[in-house]
Amino acid sequence: MNHKHAKIIFIIFVNIIVLFGCSPIVEKNLVEEIAPVTFWSVQKGDEEKYRMSTLIPPLVKEKKRLLTVQVDLLKEGVKGFNLKYYRELKLGQLRMLLISEEIATEGISPLIDTILTDPDISKRIYLVIVKGDFDEYINSQLGVQQDLDYYLYRMFKHYDNQGKMTVVNLHEFMKALHSPSHSPVLPVFEANNENFQYLGTGIFKNDKLIETTNNLEEQIYQLLSNDHFLKYFTLRDLSFVLGHVKADIQLDINKAYSELMLTVQLDGRLDEIAREHDSLTRDELSRFELEIESYLEKQTADFLKKLQENKVDPLHFRNHTLRPFSKPLEEKEWSDKWEQMEVKVDYDLKLQPLKDIKN
Amino acid sequence: MSGFSIFDKTSSLHSIYVTLMVNRIQMLYFVIILPVFLIYPYMIWVIILVGFLSQMSIFLLSKWFNSIYASKGYEGFAELLGERSVRVLAFIGLGLILLKITVITLGYVEITQHFIFPSLNTNWMILFILLICWYVGSLGMAPTIRFVVIAFLSTAWMVLLLVNFLFQPSNTIHDLFPLVPFDWTIESWKGVLFIFSALSGPEYLVLLAPWFNTRKKILKYMTIGNAFTIFEYLFLFIASLFFFGPHYLKEIRFPMMEVMRYMESPVFERIDMILISFYLINFVFAISIFILLFYGASRITLKKSKEQTTKSGFAFCCSIVFICLFINNELFWKEATNQNILLELEIWAGALTYILIPLFLFTSLKRKGRV
Repeated sequence: MNHKHAKIIFIIFVNIIVLFGCSPIVEKNLVEEIAPVTFWSVQKGDEEKYRMSTLIPPLVKEKKRLLTVQVDLLKEGVKGFNLKYYRELKLGQLRMLLISEEIATEGISPLIDTILTDPDISKRIYLVIVKGDFDEYINSQLGVQQDLDYYLYRMFKHYDNQGKMTVVNLHEFMKALHSPSHSPVLPVFEANNENFQYLGTGIFKNDKLIETTNNLEEQIYQLLSNDHFLKYFTLRDLSFVLGHVKADIQLDINKAYSELMLTVQLDGRLDEIAREHDSLTRDELSRFELEIESYLEKQTADFLKKLQENKVDPLHFRNHTLRPFSKPLEEKEWSDKWEQMEVKVDYDLKLQPLKDIKN
Repeated sequence: MSGFSIFDKTSSLHSIYVTLMVNRIQMLYFVIILPVFLIYPYMIWVIILVGFLSQMSIFLLSKWFNSIYASKGYEGFAELLGERSVRVLAFIGLGLILLKITVITLGYVEITQHFIFPSLNTNWMILFILLICWYVGSLGMAPTIRFVVIAFLSTAWMVLLLVNFLFQPSNTIHDLFPLVPFDWTIESWKGVLFIFSALSGPEYLVLLAPWFNTRKKILKYMTIGNAFTIFEYLFLFIASLFFFGPHYLKEIRFPMMEVMRYMESPVFERIDMILISFYLINFVFAISIFILLFYGASRITLKKSKEQTTKSGFAFCCSIVFICLFINNELFWKEATNQNILLELEIWAGALTYILIPLFLFTSLKRKGRV
């Protein structure tokens, strides 16, 4: 038997296997028969545990509609979608998981663990907490905005790692959840039938949402975490807006872990002054600076106080206690120390006026 | 048509092949699960230390390569150790080689099933991989050794893809702290054993000695291969520490694959599928070499080493390997890494062979030299 014969026999053998239904691969992925969905929204169900919805068809030019199922288990929902819709929904393109606030306060571990173990779902999937009814919002926008789901995804992608709002994907969430401080964060959005808007950062203790930052806290959080930059820093109480604020942060925790000294060097422009004032002089500018500094010092200390009371550490202060050659604190020990820690905040602000100033 | 001779020793290959082989044989399945066994940042030092230990083994191996027996192959061993004991050793070797093939093949198949074909019966994958290896192996020993170049070129660059995971904005140097161990447990010893076992493999090169020409600078070439492996280990481990953090790393089954899964490409969504497929080339190379060794060892055990190699004999060996893999896959291979008896055995076997074979050869050479 020469080479050619062997090849032909081999090809026939393979074809026999595949053609007679002995194909080792059971799943079918014909483009016409599948629909890769881009998001899932999980809300609390009426009788069942969850109410899941998704937008179909996600990419093809057909009339879109919202598909909703009531289920007890997350993957049961996937099955439920398929039973309701003529194409098989595939998870490979799942980009966003929107979880309602009610579920988040009870703990999202069961949901997260399920999507984590599915190798089809990317670890880059964005996690979002939604206050209010997201389905209502999508339903109202179906006729108005085409490809809404896609543009929502683009929005998250755009702000990823920009420091303007919190954007967290599954991997980052899991990493923060397993770190010894166990305080992951997720963005919180508010949805009603007209709007879908960013509220702030939701701070978790383990897998439960305990606190959402308000407007000012959110800005302080963005400055202290992420990449220390804010495009607009609005101080509504003082009627100022600072622009292009860059923060340089120094953090010192003393040896006994009883005192934390946070020094923030801020550089920015004075973008807007919404109060009565005459032409800006140097004296006035430094008075403004002092005023803003003391205001921020108080607000930041209050914000950190709140974190201490809740025993959460979303800014990863614990990391600063780690040294290359000394034993790290136990988790429990750290959380006790952190709760008792005296926090001192010092801001040093350098403002650049928008127009020339007179002496 | 001339006879079918697998172990034809007409060609003599440059020593650069030794470098590539040392490196690629050390970069098999164990690399993929390496971070799971190490976890703590202080293991960075352990990798370096065990790397030096591995260098000791390589030094002893190079003594064998420099001896007069090396180039003679089977006759060399028979002259040094006596024909009877060579047969006994070959018989033990059969089991060890089979275990090694089992663990790397089933490990790779498991990864493929997890990431690419979740609904596939794994026995099919084993069959297909072994068919490829059978084809590669039946070309003969010298072409299979040459195949290492392709294996190296198609897998070595993957490390470069991880470079940007070292420079993510969320990384802090604190992920690598503390750098010294504060409680040294049995788990840490297991980590040491695991690294050493992961570095094992070059000891099988003594069996391939007749195919290489210059044996003067062999130590240098082997050292380069070993050093490159250590560098890759360190790099992969540090990258995965940054990526997962030491605490999350404990929960992950295939850290390297998860990192690849996280990569983004504007063209392909599932870049990990492509990379895992490329990795198959490295596995095919290693499995082919080991199947050839298996064939050789069984010929020695059956006292047939002087006779002509036959196609049916080689095919018979392949089918024995397949049946073994099939049985192991069905009965003994457990998916959880810490309960996997085969993996546990291979960790011990790899480490033991890597320390004992060089020592044994070195002492026998010394004794022979004195007498």
